[in-house]
Amino acid sequence: MQKFSICFISFFVLFSFSMINIFFFSYFVMNNLVYILEWELISFSSMSIVMSILLDWMSLLFMMFVSLISSVVIFYSKSYMSSELNLNRFIILVLLFVFSMILLIISPNIISILLGWDGLGLVSYCLVIYYQNIKSYNAGMLTALSNRVGDVFILMVISWMMNYGSWNYFFYLDFMVNDYMMMMISVMIIMAAMTKSAQIPFSSWLPAAMAAPTPVSALVHSSTLVTAGVYLLIRFNSLLIDMFFFKVLLLLSGLTMFMAGISANYEFDLKKIIALSTLSQLGLMMSILSMGFPDLAFFHLLTHAMFKALLFMCAGVIIHMMNDIQDIRFMGGISNFIPLTCLCLNVSNMALCGIPFLAGFYSKDLILEMVSMSNLNFFIFLLYYVSTGLTMFYSFRLTMYLMINDFNLLSVYNLYDEDYVMLKSMFTLMMMSVLSGSMLMWSIFSYPYMIYLPLNIKLMVIYVSILGAFLGYLMSNMNIYSMNKYLKSYNLSSFLCLMWFMPNLSTYGLNFYFLNYGQLMLKNIDMGWSEFYSGQGLVLILKNYTVFYSFFQMNNNFKIYLFSFVLWVCFLMMFMMIYLNSL
Amino acid sequence: MMKFLMMMIFMIPLCFKKNMFWMVQMMLFLMMYFFMNLMINVMYYCNLSYMYSCDMLSYGLILLSIWIIILMLMSSESLYKMNFYPNFFMFNLIMLLIMLFLTFSVMNLFMFYLFFESSLIFTLLLIIGWGYQPERIQAGMYFLFYTLFASLPLLLGIFYIFNKMNYIMIYFMKFFNFNLYLLYFSMIMAFLVKMPMYFVHLWLPKAHVEAPVSGSMILAGVMLKLGGYGLLRVLILFQKVGLKLNIIFIIISLLGGFYLSLKCFCQVDIKSLIAYSSVAHMSMVIGGIMTMNYWGFIGSYILMIGHGLCSSGMFCLANINYERLHSRSLYINKGMMSLMPSMSLWWFLLMSSNMAAPPSLNLMGEISLINSLVSWCWLSMFLLMLISFFSAGYSLYLYSYIQHGKFYLGIYSFYMGLSREYLLLMLHWLPLNILIMKIDYFMIWF
Repeated sequence: MQKFSICFISFFVLFSFSMINIFFFSYFVMNNLVYILEWELISFSSMSIVMSILLDWMSLLFMMFVSLISSVVIFYSKSYMSSELNLNRFIILVLLFVFSMILLIISPNIISILLGWDGLGLVSYCLVIYYQNIKSYNAGMLTALSNRVGDVFILMVISWMMNYGSWNYFFYLDFMVNDYMMMMISVMIIMAAMTKSAQIPFSSWLPAAMAAPTPVSALVHSSTLVTAGVYLLIRFNSLLIDMFFFKVLLLLSGLTMFMAGISANYEFDLKKIIALSTLSQLGLMMSILSMGFPDLAFFHLLTHAMFKALLFMCAGVIIHMMNDIQDIRFMGGISNFIPLTCLCLNVSNMALCGIPFLAGFYSKDLILEMVSMSNLNFFIFLLYYVSTGLTMFYSFRLTMYLMINDFNLLSVYNLYDEDYVMLKSMFTLMMMSVLSGSMLMWSIFSYPYMIYLPLNIKLMVIYVSILGAFLGYLMSNMNIYSMNKYLKSYNLSSFLCLMWFMPNLSTYGLNFYFLNYGQLMLKNIDMGWSEFYSGQGLVLILKNYTVFYSFFQMNNNFKIYLFSFVLWVCFLMMFMMIYLNSL
Repeated sequence: MMKFLMMMIFMIPLCFKKNMFWMVQMMLFLMMYFFMNLMINVMYYCNLSYMYSCDMLSYGLILLSIWIIILMLMSSESLYKMNFYPNFFMFNLIMLLIMLFLTFSVMNLFMFYLFFESSLIFTLLLIIGWGYQPERIQAGMYFLFYTLFASLPLLLGIFYIFNKMNYIMIYFMKFFNFNLYLLYFSMIMAFLVKMPMYFVHLWLPKAHVEAPVSGSMILAGVMLKLGGYGLLRVLILFQKVGLKLNIIFIIISLLGGFYLSLKCFCQVDIKSLIAYSSVAHMSMVIGGIMTMNYWGFIGSYILMIGHGLCSSGMFCLANINYERLHSRSLYINKGMMSLMPSMSLWWFLLMSSNMAAPPSLNLMGEISLINSLVSWCWLSMFLLMLISFFSAGYSLYLYSYIQHGKFYLGIYSFYMGLSREYLLLMLHWLPLNILIMKIDYFMIWF
């Protein structure tokens, strides 16, 4: 019965779903079909709220990738999470996560996209806080709240789209481009996409979300959560192509790419390095998207999903081997012990760097060549190429630390490469990271891109890669004396290694003010003025009056009171008599 | 409508027999079923009998109050187990239900006022009768006097309208239009205190903290909605003056909603936190009603129903923890996921509904309210964004503080969730998320 565990069943279902999607994808792309299904919830005031499903080659292909990766990840977690008590909870959460992502992929309606969009945020929160420790608690809160910013922007987009009479943004993108409201909508959509895809003001959650179990990281950081923003902007791209904000997005995403690349070089946590490389690749996707090449961004999104999931899975295996130690300074020389895992790791790393004829090469090289062809300034050009070099830099540094340098773990260790459940799932993805680039290139581009470049610019990718690899080699062999040189530029180093202080700014930098303000409000209004002018204050006034009058009544003045009463009655009698006499 | 009234009245003797706790609940379920099958027209008042009637607005709220009363019985099983005056408790609930039913179904504005106030008495009995701590007397006083203080002007306002127009049927109010400032304030202040609006909300956290679980449920579930119902009915009188003065209340409630969401982060008492969060949600409702447009009205209605189910469910959850740990403090209610993993699911579901996650009614309500408020003035967008963002913040704060981390080591004994409790929570959550399929019942009602 072990065979029919929840992992196996989920794997089977998702894998078959993926195969179905391949079939439909090829059918749709061959016949150039788009299906839109609509279920109307309500229609009034000539506004209709619908739940819509859009099936075209893009959504089908993306669903195929998502379900393939998630099926493999679930299969992998059968071994990775085998000692987990609540394995069912874990798998159900992962399935919910995949389900939300699929809902997000297929809905072209800004209301029904919330189902997937919010669902991703919530379920990712549950997955990030899966382990019961403070670090994952904080990381989960940061992730959920950063994503919530995006949700709020989507909610606002709904209110701005109300005037169009429907929330199927699909129909308005071409005709309403010059509308003022569409401009507001696009700004907010960009903000929402930036939170989900962790672009610069919001990027602190992405490395923090590493507190999740590794299979979740493999899923979150490859194909699902972080690509949701990119996917949304791909859908909105036809509208936003010639807007000023897209140039801002280009700058921000270029800077994200650069920042993540540098921070990855300072990092010693295995998973965090990979997370930062994800951030860098997301910056690449976003930036090429904002230059007006949505199909290239989508292409890179898919290939990146494959090798990044593989990279995380390899990292998970290594973390298991290393007795749950994630610090790469403890590792080294593991290619002697676990060659198959290292094979996968190397393939995915090389695909990430864009070594020719692996998956990353097709998309990344094309992107960089299109950048060189485009009419852009030198700064953007520099950001792209330096970041490409940095990718090679940290990948090579990681490889050196993991595989070449000396083994630094405790003297008692147990490395084994016979976990076939993990290996099978990794090999599936390794196949895909080798093949998917060329496969996708053939299937999704109906005509080839024309590239025409001078030789040196054409070879610029190779130059920066070789330079990056060399620097990475040097970095990995630094001794303690050279390391201490960092202290000379301490401020700069901490700026660069703490992701430009973004984690600090988006946690300590923000919450203090709001919490303090809330406390102030609680003290001054709820327990202060409001209470003074209604509850307690009223009691105080009444009490004071009561005391005042009872002072005259209860003390020795009682006889004065009585006397005055008698006097008053006498006066009353007198007046009555006068009055009666006058009748 | 009389048949339901009769049914409830004849349920009163049942309350005083022994061991009839679940019987009463079953009868109420039966009544709920009958009421659900009531023939209801979308646009007009129907089921007119004597002075009772029902349109979509009151239909939904009556359904909500019957449902909440049923669930209150279900959640207060411990009273029955410990024989803590269960008969009188049931009697109290039935009387409360009668009052709520009449409040929502009468057509006469004065009778509405009468039942509106008399429902106060039974809630007060619930709080000071079955509360836990001596402070419940103060909380009851706050509750009573805050609402009474503002509702006497309402009575005078109703008399004024009667004096001017010679009839005060709610249906005919759409033909009147008063352009009087004082009348406007006197007519709506009672409802704003009941909602409660910011600045006059102090009674609510106090009452919630001191009330037993059933008291909290009815307070959050239905009593707050009385105010919203009253506003929805009465504002039609003040269309002109409302255009000038509603801005005051919108601003107070939007700013107040933001401040209240911040205050939620300073709470260490679970019930107080939920109470503050419901005030924050209600402030959005006030904002939506006060814009006096279609989206605002339907949005406030949907959010009232959704919030009634959701916050009532959250109070149930708080009570489930309280029955096990005997504390409402967030510092003691910790790490519950290790102890009650299945209950954690319900915490998460209700928490996520509270922060307006799809597909809950709260989401639909918030979308409608945001639509109405942004179309009223686009600057309200900023406050709405803050409210919406922080609502997620405090919901997650509540959830993660209770569920995550190490559990309190002073726990002596513990028991898992009972099937009654799971059923209770499911009956809160399921309508909240299923009703979105039939959202047109909430969206086309006037």
